[in-house]
Amino acid sequence: MRVGTPHRPEAPSATPVKQSAAGERGRDTHAKRIAPTPRRARTKGGLSRFAVFAAPGLVVYLALVLVPIAMTTGYSLTNRNPFNPPTRWVGLDNLTGLFSDDEFLKALQNTVVITVIVTLVTNAGGLAIALLLDRRGWLYNALRSVFFVPVVLSAVVVSVIWQSILVDDGLLNSMLRDLGVHHPPGWLSDPGLALYTVSWVIAWQGLGFCVVIYLAGLQGIPQELYEAAAIDGCGPLMRFRKVTWPMLAPAVTINTVMSLIGGFKAYDQIQVLTNGGPGPGTTSTLAFQVVQTAFNGNHVGYASAMAVVMLVLVAAVSVVALGLLQKREVTS
Amino acid sequence: MNRPHQARTWLRPAGALLAGILFFLPIYVVLVNVFKDGSSIVSDPLGLPSPPTLDNLQSVLSRPDHLFWYGLINSTEVTVISILIITAISAMLGHYLARTTGIVSKAAMVVLLCGLMVPPAVILTPITEVLRALGLMSSVPGLVLAYIGYYMPFGVFVFAGFAKTIPRELEEAAAIDGAGAFRAFWQVVFPLMRPASASVLIFLGVWIWNDFLNPLIILGPADGTTVTAGIYRAIGEHQADYGSVFALMFLATLPILIFYLAFQKQFVKGLTGGATKG
Repeated sequence: MRVGTPHRPEAPSATPVKQSAAGERGRDTHAKRIAPTPRRARTKGGLSRFAVFAAPGLVVYLALVLVPIAMTTGYSLTNRNPFNPPTRWVGLDNLTGLFSDDEFLKALQNTVVITVIVTLVTNAGGLAIALLLDRRGWLYNALRSVFFVPVVLSAVVVSVIWQSILVDDGLLNSMLRDLGVHHPPGWLSDPGLALYTVSWVIAWQGLGFCVVIYLAGLQGIPQELYEAAAIDGCGPLMRFRKVTWPMLAPAVTINTVMSLIGGFKAYDQIQVLTNGGPGPGTTSTLAFQVVQTAFNGNHVGYASAMAVVMLVLVAAVSVVALGLLQKREVTS
Repeated sequence: MNRPHQARTWLRPAGALLAGILFFLPIYVVLVNVFKDGSSIVSDPLGLPSPPTLDNLQSVLSRPDHLFWYGLINSTEVTVISILIITAISAMLGHYLARTTGIVSKAAMVVLLCGLMVPPAVILTPITEVLRALGLMSSVPGLVLAYIGYYMPFGVFVFAGFAKTIPRELEEAAAIDGAGAFRAFWQVVFPLMRPASASVLIFLGVWIWNDFLNPLIILGPADGTTVTAGIYRAIGEHQADYGSVFALMFLATLPILIFYLAFQKQFVKGLTGGATKG
């Protein structure tokens, strides 16, 4: 009792000191201070909490994304073909074969072309339209919705719409003929043109996404910055360069990364608009080539090697782009 | 919002209107031609329908193979079940990962976020094999399961980000009041994450409804089709008959368009959450 009592009056005086220190250092210390008491309860309940809250999502993700990625990687080292067993180990033969495969190289080149065009058109066009629509009023609200409608539509629907317009005797060419053009271009049937037509359709659909992101970015710029720039004698162009463009950096990051990833994935539009043609693989993309090789040709091993290359490229491009663009956000 | 005064005030609305009209022209073409007969689609594709006809819509609705109705039922089933399950599971996982600080949950977060950029084509073949092993290939549950896996990263990303804005004290209070972790989550935390749930439901609703490649391969031709895969099959059949193809697209898009218009505000809010932080 005599040992215990002197401690008691000390205890309350110790707690406030601790608390004020915790208050100063903020949340983390606060959490640490609470942690020791329920620790045993926590680790005991930790496993069942994990089982209830985390396990369902992680298990499905593991089974239907991570395991398939591992399987694709494994298949890429074999000659797997479900209709032509046995499957043999071929090492890196598939991978090295890809780089002398004209169809694959063409698909890779097409994917790069589509991605670059889509990224440039959606960003430049999206920013221009966002600048045009950055006002209040019913007209601008209505137009915002108009530009966003294609984002909500299925890529298949968008492709069928444009196909009806762009086929050789479609709407556009019959209008051109009415205007006196005797041999209007074969937008989807000319091997030199079809890839650009496909890129345009993909860009048209993605434009509204960029418009909305840029509009939000523009509306987040404090008015005072423009006023200060105007007082300093900046004209409209200078104001754009010195205020608008740097302040839009986060929006540029989102739009560019989304367009890059979207362009790389391009599949639906190819299948509906051109089915990879006209001619051998003139508009084929990586995604299209992978699916064709795996499901129509049944060369699963070879298709998996393409898929691995595609995955590595997407990862590399997104990481590099994200790094570069976010660096720009910080410095500007 | 007093922008510096500009001299030619009619220039901006006129330019905006012109850009909007040009941009919308392809959709206008579909909308007017749904209500025209075949010959006037060819002779006057841009004019308003006069007199308007419902023949195209009727022929799609009364197709003997029920392509539209089967597609509608499958699409609705797949979309509704998928988005409800993904929202529930990814909300729990996202919240869990945001609240635990161990190295395992950090690693799980990184691995999940990497999944955001995996192109569907990369994993489609093995997915069909996993589903076949589970006996779920060519079935709606199989397609739903594929979506749950594929869109888990997006759901976790949204919910984990949002969970950080919810004060931890609320959950601790619920725990003190004797609620188990499960009840505390569903009765206290989940209702607070309503904006995150709205984003996830709306985005996934649009993406899954519009998806093409997965239903084409996983559901396959035999058993069923979704509306998007159905449109693709219909254009193969009657290439020239744009009246009924447009009518099919119009009907297939209507549900998701209504869904989008009803939640438009949350959709755009969810979209722009990251763009305005700078």
